[in-house]
Order: sequence, then structure tokens, then C-alpha cells
Amino acid sequence: MLHLLKIDLKKMTSYRTFWVICGLYFLTLGFTTASGMEILKWLASKGAEFGASININRVPLYHFPDIWQNLIWISGLFKIVLAVMVVISITNEYQYRTIRQNIIDGMSRWEFLQSKILTNVMLSLMSVLMILSIALFTGFIYTPKIEWDYFLVGSEFFVAYFLEIFAFLSYALMLGILVQRSGLTIVLLMLSHMIEAIIKLNIFRSSVEDQIGFLKQFFPLESITNLVPLPFARYAFQEIQDYVALTAVAIAIGWTVLFNYFAYLKLRKSDI
Amino acid sequence: METVLSIQKLTKNFGKLCAVNNLDLEVKKGQVFGMLGPNGSGKTTTLGMLMGVVNPTSGSFSWFGEPASHLTRKKIGAVLEHPIFYPYLSGQKNLELNAMIKGADPGNIPKVLETVELTARKDDKFRTYSLGMKQRLAIASALVSDPIILILDEPTNGLDPMGIAEIREIIKKIAADGKTIILASHLLDEVQKVCTHFAVLKRGTLMHTGPVDDVGKGEELVEVQAYHDDLGVLLQEFMGSASIKKENGLFQVMMKDGYHSKDLNRFLFDKGIVASHLATRKKSLEKQFLEILSDAGHHG
Repeated sequence: MLHLLKIDLKKMTSYRTFWVICGLYFLTLGFTTASGMEILKWLASKGAEFGASININRVPLYHFPDIWQNLIWISGLFKIVLAVMVVISITNEYQYRTIRQNIIDGMSRWEFLQSKILTNVMLSLMSVLMILSIALFTGFIYTPKIEWDYFLVGSEFFVAYFLEIFAFLSYALMLGILVQRSGLTIVLLMLSHMIEAIIKLNIFRSSVEDQIGFLKQFFPLESITNLVPLPFARYAFQEIQDYVALTAVAIAIGWTVLFNYFAYLKLRKSDI
Repeated sequence: METVLSIQKLTKNFGKLCAVNNLDLEVKKGQVFGMLGPNGSGKTTTLGMLMGVVNPTSGSFSWFGEPASHLTRKKIGAVLEHPIFYPYLSGQKNLELNAMIKGADPGNIPKVLETVELTARKDDKFRTYSLGMKQRLAIASALVSDPIILILDEPTNGLDPMGIAEIREIIKKIAADGKTIILASHLLDEVQKVCTHFAVLKRGTLMHTGPVDDVGKGEELVEVQAYHDDLGVLLQEFMGSASIKKENGLFQVMMKDGYHSKDLNRFLFDKGIVASHLATRKKSLEKQFLEILSDAGHHG
């Protein structure tokens, strides 16, 4: 297993595009999540100029335990960058035909796919670790009084976050293996949410919405989005879902398995 | 002799096109086996199936008497069609990657780079290599696991004469080490120079298989010229001539069984003629190849 991961990393670590994209991803992810409080202060000062006073202490963005879901939801927005990297990694193998040589050299097709999946696991874990450390760091800075009893409430969102990233990267990998061309795959990846939304609009017309509306959560991209619900409405005195729904996890795991299985089926059947 | 590769009724259809048709073939240990055929005759498709990148429609094959799997592929060094490497990695890094996949000792890398004379350029990116260097790196990657068997597909394609000679020398050197080599080529001269056995494919069907040494056995062709006006007529009288042709100002006499050039020489001498040119020509593989292919045309 580790050997297969090493093989894929060997391909990537001398590839400049990999460093540029991953660097941009982790930098923007880090800066964005770490500087939310500064942005809030800036907004407050702007607001003050217009006579509207915002009390930023009433918006405990970075207070334990709110911080977990807040940062994780924001971080989820950046996963598209990582997914583009995954697409480039797999479509390069087709473009350069190196997948063919890998198989000739003695990898099985399943081993080849495994090496890519393991890299996805690693990138997902790194995202989790990054956000975990930023959340701990900023949390301890900004939380006025830490209540240890509630400290870990909502930290299960990290499991959901891992799944969110990994499911989306699995989707990107499958798309790359099915389409094989980088440009087209990236466009499809970008449009996926929109395409799914249009399909849903056409299926769930208002006349049937009540009866079959619950089926929406079974759509692949929606299932990934549902893992971490939008938290910020709670600061406008609205009720939010501040826990990880087990059905959402089950559906997302189901799709993740299917994405990788479809990728395997396509690899197994095709002449390379 | 030990059988390295055994193919039974291997078939591949691409839609309606039959690329490889019921192919049966055996390669024994130590052979340098040439696969001949015009472009599009199914050589690369056959090798692709043997190396697991093309799924056979039907039929089977076994390496070293075991059913084929990715594990048997690790014991084979193969380059199919063009050299394939990661363009942004150096030659050295590409070979390290090959070694990792094959489970080979990376300590072999300096040795194989030396064999193909790429040591000086090993740290340059693959995309900066010339075609000849790419072909040589491909051979190095095939050798990195010290394989028992080597598969080369058109290894001299697109090279200049010097590059061709270099690759040929490398192949001979490897063959001298006792490795089994399967060499696909449409260059007959190349196969005749380096191979011990050969097979001819045409539109996916096996037309002929046998040792290269057998080529040219049987009839002997003698080229002759002399300062005599009616040499052509005179040669007809020679008992040993099966047929006579004039080509490039020389008479080519196809000898009957049991007759040799010395008999022709004596015949001319007895007639008071001294030959100015007398040479025995073995039938070239090219001739035999064209014969095999045209025979096929008549039957098919």
C-alpha cells in the first residue's frame, strides 16, 4: 500500500505544476481560514464609517466550539483546487501514455488506481490536519473563555470534512479516467454542480416536490455538500444543523465507493 | 529447450476489424525472436496483449509456463511502440520510477545507463532528449530489472543510420548475455542481422515461423558475368540451371538441387570462358518475406 503511494508521489514531487497548485491551495486555504477575524474587524470598521455598528463579539466565528464547523465549511469551498490537481495528475497519465507503460512495467490496473486513490487520501488528510491546526491555533487566540465541557462539540465535523474532500477527489479522479482529457474534464468538473442543479430543477417540479423532494439528498454532489451544512445563519438568529447527519455520511460514503468502482470498471475494461 | 512464451489461439477484434487472428506461437529460452509484418499486421496489438494493456477477445498465453499476471510482467522488460516516459522527469528519475514499479534494485540504474551510453545526460529532463536518446532510455528501462526476457517493438524506428547501428549493437550485446529477446520490426534486414528465429504476420494471421538460418536453404542463387556475347544462351545449356534472369548487368542463375557455383564455374571453363564475376547469393529474408506475403495473397 505504502509502496503504491510512494510510486504516485515520486511522479508528482518533481512536477512543478503539482507544487504550484498544491502550494496555492494550502496557502489560500490557510490564509483565508486564519484571517477571518481580521476580515470581520475590517467589515466592522467600514460599517462604523456608515454609522452602522457591528459588535464583532456578538459573532463568535472563532470561538470554541463554533469554530470547528465555521472553518470547515469555509475550507470546503477550496476543494475544487485540489480536484483540479487530481484531474491533471490522472489525465497526464493518459496524455503521456505513461499509464500504459506503468501497466507494461508490471502494475495491475487495480494497483494503478490504488496509487491514485491513496494520494487522494493523503491530500484529504493533509487538508484535515491543516484546518485542525489552524482551528486550534486561532481558537485559542480568539476564544475569550474556553469552556472545556463544550470544547469538542462539533469536532466530528472533521470526519465529515475528510469525507467531503475525499468524495470530491474520488469524483474528480473518476471523471478524469472516464474523459481522459484534462481541459474537458476540468470544465465538466466546474460545471458539475450546475448540471446537477438543472437536473434537480427538472425532476423536482413544485407539483411533486412534496412527495419526492427527499430524494434530492441522494444526488452525488448534493450528498457531498450535505456533509457540512452552512453554519453562519446561526448568527442571524436562525436555527441551523450543527451536527453531522448520519444519513448524509452514509450516502456520501456510498457515492465515494461508487465513484472509485466506476473508475475501476472503466480501467479494467478498456485497452490502454 | 525451455519454453518462455506460449500463445494459444490469441485473437483480438477491434469492432469488425480482426487485428490478431487465432495466433499460435512459441518462444524458447535464449532465442532472439523476430516478429515481422507490414505496418498494421498486428505485431504491436499482439505485444500489447502479452503485456496486459490490450484485453484479448479470446485465446490465451502463458509466460514461463504460468498464467499471465502483472507479477509475470515484472520479470519482462518491454518497450512497445514509442518510448514512454514522464517528460518533466529526468532520465534518472524515470528509471527510478520504473525500478520502483518493477520491484527492481535501483542500484542497477548506473549500469544500464552505461549500457545505453546515457550516463552523461541522466539528470536532464526526458523532454530534452533526442529521439535516439529516448529510444536508448527505453532500452535502459527495459533492462533495469535485469529481466529474463526483453520485448522491443520497432526499436530503431525513426533513427539515423548511426543510431540504428548503436541500437543493433546493444541488442546483440544483450543477446550475448543469454537473454531471450522478442523483436517486432518491419525492417527485414534488421531481423536477419540480429534474430535467430522469426515469425511473419499478415493482417493478424501467422504466415510463417522458423529459424532465420533456414532462410536461403535449398536453392542457391549464383550471380555470374563474363566477357562473352551469348552468355545468356550458353547458360541455358548448363545442366544445373533452374532459371536464369538478368539483373543490373549480371546473370542470376537459380541452381537446381545438388548444383553449386563451382559446377557452373567448371562448365564455363570447359567452354573456354572465364568468369569476370561469380558470387553465391543466399536468398535474403526480404525475398522470403515477400514470397510468404504474396503466397498468402494467392491463397487468401
